[in-house]
Amino acid sequence: MAAKDREQLLHFYEDMLRIRFFEEKVRDVLLPGKLFRGSSHLAIGQEAVAVGAIHALREDDLVVSTHRGHGHAMAKGLDPRSMFAEVMGRKTGCCRGKGGSMHLSDAGLGFVGENPVVGSNTPMAAGLALAAKLEGSDRLVAAFFGEGALNTGAFHEAANLAALWQLPVLFLCEDNLYAISVPLERSSALQDLERRAEAYGIQGQRVNGMRVMEVYEAVSRVAQETRERSVPSYLVFDTYRFEGHHTSDKQTYRTRDEALEEFRKRDPIHILEFEMIDDHTVPIPLTIEYRDRIRAEIDEAFEQALQEPWPEADEALAGAYAEGGE
Amino acid sequence: MAEKLRNITFAQAIRTALRAEMKRDERVILFGEDVGYYGGVYGATVGLQKEFGEDRVRDTPISEMAIGGVAVGAALAGYRPVAEIMYCDFLAHASDAIVNNAAKWRYMSGGQFALPIVFRSPGGGGAGYAAQHSQSLEAWFAHIPGLKVVAPSLPRDARGLLKAAIRDDNPVVFLEHKAHYTFKGEVPVEEEVIPLGVAEVKRAGNDVTVVSWSKTLTFALEAAETLAAEGIDTEVIDPRTLQPLDIEAILASIGKTRHLVVAHEAVQFGGLGGEIVAQVAERALDSLKRPPVRVAAPFVPIPYSEPMELRVIPQVADIVAGVRRSLG
Repeated sequence: MAAKDREQLLHFYEDMLRIRFFEEKVRDVLLPGKLFRGSSHLAIGQEAVAVGAIHALREDDLVVSTHRGHGHAMAKGLDPRSMFAEVMGRKTGCCRGKGGSMHLSDAGLGFVGENPVVGSNTPMAAGLALAAKLEGSDRLVAAFFGEGALNTGAFHEAANLAALWQLPVLFLCEDNLYAISVPLERSSALQDLERRAEAYGIQGQRVNGMRVMEVYEAVSRVAQETRERSVPSYLVFDTYRFEGHHTSDKQTYRTRDEALEEFRKRDPIHILEFEMIDDHTVPIPLTIEYRDRIRAEIDEAFEQALQEPWPEADEALAGAYAEGGE
Repeated sequence: MAEKLRNITFAQAIRTALRAEMKRDERVILFGEDVGYYGGVYGATVGLQKEFGEDRVRDTPISEMAIGGVAVGAALAGYRPVAEIMYCDFLAHASDAIVNNAAKWRYMSGGQFALPIVFRSPGGGGAGYAAQHSQSLEAWFAHIPGLKVVAPSLPRDARGLLKAAIRDDNPVVFLEHKAHYTFKGEVPVEEEVIPLGVAEVKRAGNDVTVVSWSKTLTFALEAAETLAAEGIDTEVIDPRTLQPLDIEAILASIGKTRHLVVAHEAVQFGGLGGEIVAQVAERALDSLKRPPVRVAAPFVPIPYSEPMELRVIPQVADIVAGVRRSLG
């Protein structure tokens, strides 16, 4: 393997570990410690999609995400400390404690934000892409959503419009098999999800979402086409969430064995580690070194965020409106 | 020096404002159903596509969710979209974008984004369109923090307020009355921007304050003339913007007249008349000599047949009766 490829693979590995350890901290420390409110939607198992896809984008490309967006946010460059602070409701969070786990955003990084209303981000992506097109920019917009969003009217209106107006949108569907409790076969008349935009002339492709390099290559390919021809693209990633829909999900709709079996066979981080080790790209001790280093980094980000101040209660009353205008 | 005025319709006032703002700022873009080639079902965008091109004036498919969402996305990326939703009843389709996204993105991002969007939409009844094309839904949107709501009555207000709405950095729901597009009124020849959130006394009077907006305001002005013949001197206040509401102007008027009537076309229950009465009660109950009166639609959908529609939508006579009731 070329040194450049090795470096890139290690970069992916590092980003995937960072997302995994962040979310494990949410699950294992924040949840039992009652350090966040409401619930948090973990993407443990889906890291390869976030990392592979976002690394295939340009820095000035925009990303809209879902309630399950910690990974997308971090892959787009959000700092774990500001994410922990936001999830814990601190004043120093990326949204000053007004958004929380489901509404992370960072305008400067082109992370337009998580939108936890399923399907709702796809017309927004079309609007962001329309702006790029009107400006004459070749920036594109990546919209992540779960397979549940394919059943919303919003997705179909957005897909039609994006195709009709030739907008540079990447529709990136993370098929994790469950819409909360309802499995795919009971929610979609068509099981071939990659065909669900065919009516708009958008040919979808299915991609193994557990192999980060496959995700990266597939997104790189369609991104180039979308950028050059200003047309939408659509990919469906096979993936799986090893955790519940959110942190209070009792997961009565599947067996623990199913999730464990999937984890044993399909954990994208294990897959990447085995591949790197098997082809001697990376020696085992280096993976351990990476794991220790990233875990320490996440621990430190968490400890820092834990010390950060709460917002004043009255900050709630400000910020609903922008002052002034043109 | 007297203002130079010209007489134009409400639809022309809207079109004039759109055209001027598009010339002023190339980030202003329009889209919606039939707004381009056809010029809008009420003619409010006639000629704009020809003048500004298809990039800036776009016909959309019948996809209100997409229209709303595209407006949000384009605004987040720095444009100032004006999206037309053909009937305000169809705002129900677009409401996820308006209520969940446009209204909240700034707040829940901790102030990182601005959403300069105008959602123009015709509302109101009186034209025989029945229950699904005649509603007055201003209270829905005035109830949502993050939105501004404008409901102009006269062409001058429509033109000046729309300009302000387009220049505002917040999402504005701009409700036009469909039975009012051919209503004529005078507008200054010179450019005029009417700030949002400022009421106007449309008729000064000393005996009773009538607060009203949109088409009903013109009924209130007619009612005031009828009442004048009886020696009742009615002050008519047009809030023009319903969110934010210029309650100070209303309180100032009540300080003088000591009587309050609120007249609107929307159903009474949960309508903005209740909010205005409540704010007056909290702050100036002692100013009122008599209980306030609301003149609004009964709690039924808008019926089709003319005698029934006239029964449901408040008319001049209803406002006259309301004023008499308020005076005891």
